[in-house]
Amino acid sequence: MRFSKVVIPVALCILLLSLAAPAQKRKGRAAKPRKPTVVAPIDTDALKGLITQQREGPLLVNFWATYCDPCRDEFPDLVKIDKEYRPRSLEFVTVSLDDMSDIKTAVPKFLDEMKAKMPAYLLNVSDPEPAINLVDRGWQGSLPATFLYNEKGEIVYRHIGRVNAAELREAIDKVVVKKGT
Amino acid sequence: MKTRNLSILLALLFVITAVGFAVGARAEGEVPAPLAIGSTIEDFTLPDYDNHERSLKSLAGKNGTVILFIAVQCPVSNAYNERMEKLAQDYKEKGINVVGINSNVKEDAAAVKAHAAEHKLSFTILKDSANKIADKFGASVTPEAYFLDANNKLLYHGRIDNARDAAQVETPDLRNALDATLAGKPVEKTEAKAFGCSIKRA
Repeated sequence: MRFSKVVIPVALCILLLSLAAPAQKRKGRAAKPRKPTVVAPIDTDALKGLITQQREGPLLVNFWATYCDPCRDEFPDLVKIDKEYRPRSLEFVTVSLDDMSDIKTAVPKFLDEMKAKMPAYLLNVSDPEPAINLVDRGWQGSLPATFLYNEKGEIVYRHIGRVNAAELREAIDKVVVKKGT
Repeated sequence: MKTRNLSILLALLFVITAVGFAVGARAEGEVPAPLAIGSTIEDFTLPDYDNHERSLKSLAGKNGTVILFIAVQCPVSNAYNERMEKLAQDYKEKGINVVGINSNVKEDAAAVKAHAAEHKLSFTILKDSANKIADKFGASVTPEAYFLDANNKLLYHGRIDNARDAAQVETPDLRNALDATLAGKPVEKTEAKAFGCSIKRA
């Protein structure tokens, strides 16, 4: 009885340590230095240019902020979607509504943590209303907000609040598939 | 017996899942439409952070009332703390009262009270735990302002001003609405989109 009380936990500890140690080594070897994300400031005119410019495929724009919990929660889904659809000619950009003082700190830090590769912008305006209206008059400015534009710059899908990944994929499929057929 | 237990377990799981879906069905973006300009809000009551029931009627100013949906943790709302307090002070003597409402489900009355003390917010702040009043107004973010005249008719809805950074304020939309009303003039810009953190609803 006493034997099992002592030996079993000790054996379990050894087993766990032996499993954890190589994992740590593997992690150490695999970690390559990654270029830190650069977040570019964008004003209303540049945002308009981005949305309306000639493109080969659809454009997905996600408005978010580091202080917005549902924005942070949905980000892993967005990163997956970017990875999945970028080869299928989907352009995906993120626009942060954080404060300009966060452009080199909190915003790229979060994007790096998420391993986000889509071009990242931060809305640099003294008045956000024209930008909000430019994107969608019906949008009140609450975050997160995700808009999918076709090649002509028309909104084909919008979602205010945390995205439903399946629903977003379905919307993207409609525009990217249509182009391929 | 085993099969019966299993079916009970499955039924229970089904119920839990269904309830989960029903509760979670309300997505972040699904907020009732904002109260239309010109409509009148009925009197309501909510507890303040000391749990005393307060009615809109008892808090209203003789020349009108500003309802501000605010938050404890939202950095945008917090960037406005000093401006909101100044607004309350400036217009109190002109007969317009400022009332704050915290509708964030994760911020309880104790947190609201501590936040008000820390940031020296002297105006009344009500706790809207079930988002009933946020739904009534159709408020979606913090900070978000509603200006009601002496008869509780909505004259202005939206942001406090154009910029989170106080140094960049160019259009103090809410103050403009209050000043116009006090001068007996119509409010020129009745709506300006509020920007900030989403109200975390139950």
